[in-house]
Amino acid sequence: MSEPKRLHPIATVINCLKLLKELIIPFLVFVVFGSKNGLFQLIASLGVIVLVLIIGILTWLRFTYRLEDEELRIEYGVFVRKKRYIPFERIQSLDLSEGILQRPFGLVKVKIETAGSSGEAEAVLTAISKSQATIIQQALSSAKDETSIDEQEVVKENKEIILYQITPKELFLLASTSGGVGVVISAVIAFIFQFEEIIPYEKVFNGLEDFISSGVLVVSLLVFIGFLVAWAAALIGTMLKYAGFTVKKNKDDFIITRGLLEKRQLTIPSHRIQAIRLSENLIRQPLGLSTVYIESAGGSATDTDSSREMLLPIVKRNVITTILSPYLPEYNLETPILSAPTRSLKRYLFRGLVYMLPMIVVSVIFFRPWGYLSLLLVIPSLLLSYLKFKDAGWNVDSQQLTLRYRSIIKNTIFMKRNRIQSLVMRESYFQNKNELASIQATVMSGSGGTGGKVVDLEKNDVEGIYEWYSYSK
Amino acid sequence: MILEPQRRISSKGLTVWRISGAIHSFFALLVSGAAVALTIIFDWPSWIIGIAVLALVLYAYLFIILFPTLRWKRWRYEVRENEIELQHGVFVIKRTLVPMIRVQHVDMQQGPILRKYQLATITVSTAATVHEIPALEMDEAEELRFFISKLARVADEDV
Repeated sequence: MSEPKRLHPIATVINCLKLLKELIIPFLVFVVFGSKNGLFQLIASLGVIVLVLIIGILTWLRFTYRLEDEELRIEYGVFVRKKRYIPFERIQSLDLSEGILQRPFGLVKVKIETAGSSGEAEAVLTAISKSQATIIQQALSSAKDETSIDEQEVVKENKEIILYQITPKELFLLASTSGGVGVVISAVIAFIFQFEEIIPYEKVFNGLEDFISSGVLVVSLLVFIGFLVAWAAALIGTMLKYAGFTVKKNKDDFIITRGLLEKRQLTIPSHRIQAIRLSENLIRQPLGLSTVYIESAGGSATDTDSSREMLLPIVKRNVITTILSPYLPEYNLETPILSAPTRSLKRYLFRGLVYMLPMIVVSVIFFRPWGYLSLLLVIPSLLLSYLKFKDAGWNVDSQQLTLRYRSIIKNTIFMKRNRIQSLVMRESYFQNKNELASIQATVMSGSGGTGGKVVDLEKNDVEGIYEWYSYSK
Repeated sequence: MILEPQRRISSKGLTVWRISGAIHSFFALLVSGAAVALTIIFDWPSWIIGIAVLALVLYAYLFIILFPTLRWKRWRYEVRENEIELQHGVFVIKRTLVPMIRVQHVDMQQGPILRKYQLATITVSTAATVHEIPALEMDEAEELRFFISKLARVADEDV
């Protein structure tokens, strides 16, 4: 397939829509603040639309791609002609998706990502036929291991193993526990206002009370309904996004497909995996559920999804190893976690209070009678601090560093020593006095970094990790 | 415990930090000067003047004298054959390890003040992080940059 190929003509429509989307704000400004002369505005708007159409068509005409000499060669540009040649071995991943416009024509959108690409993806083929996409995929994978000839290729294709497929029940659980925080909060608020009716506050504060209580009821009801609608929308959105979530493993790659309206397929080569992250949010944790992410190199910064990719959207904590260990043999996802020493608890609690302090002081000073209620914030803050303390932990096991910490969500990150980009040990004056220290490890994720930071561990332990990581022994 | 990093940055770095602290303080001077002027013009309570002056003095003391001294005292680095180790921090002491095989590139940079004192700053970038060794003597910085880039090239591996 060395002759230059164009995208499917539907790409023109997509180009135009994208352009129009970018123009919408200046356009609105123009319409709202423009001159009173309606005719001029009409002509100008029509002119813009025609211009957009022309640019869209020209963009499509000029955009060609071909596979040649082990390279993907793209030529594009309306005013400035650009040529972009991407060698196959530099390509990190192909991200296939089917939008609403691509679907009726059996087309896919292919995003090509390389390691260094910051910002947008290296190249995007907006609309090509599925068979073309398959050809590119095959060309890529055969370039990656040169020894394999086509025959082996076929064998490999057949060796795809499905290692996870979401069940409808799990899908519902996933959707309902992700945006669920809002509902719980609003339910709690409504509950409190219910109590307000039962407890005779009105006798305590007469006069304004009738007005306030009736107003409050309506407002709280509205807020609750608002939350409910938002939650339902989020629920449906999430379900559509993750419907049919399937993880397949072929020889070296994890292939993730998901989505109902917009189908996405994502290929992550095993050797691009930088770390495994396990997240448990406040609702899923008590249910023993968690989410497993892959942190991978490559992927564009604007699309945050692509550097941290969900591997198992929702899964019982105790079956993760069973599912994943055959496919990720180098990771030990069930290492025992060593906790922070008890004496660091008071530092955790103190830190929680310090963050709350300005808020409390301000509301107590400026909103006198009701401001004292903000003192109640101390309770959740202490509770969260305690959880943070309880969840802080680490382990080193031959070539793997495991860090566990909580921001609000509990995170456990599993990193290989040769994937850690840098390691920082921190020690403040007071930590030093208590023989405590913090540790932070960074791995690559997309075009930036991610990692884990655990505060107030036993100083000896932290020094141990530091020594373990050091390359000069 | 593995050996602490030994090498210090140039003592001229301290002077440079003091100078940039002084430049900072000049802006603080403008702000507090404005506060004093407004107080006199509009007849605000006089304690505002006291606070403005006090804040200025404190700011100048911290950023010209205390912080640069502490910072300079703490700064240690060492470039070994297979890793770079840094130690720095004013209140919180941070020790950082960067393995040579993770280094992607080395940059050298120089602001106007640094240039006047024949100093330069080295930044070492990995795929995910950036680390800085500030205020090194020019020839030392040059040597270090060369050394690191040579070693980093040897240890080329998948990201």
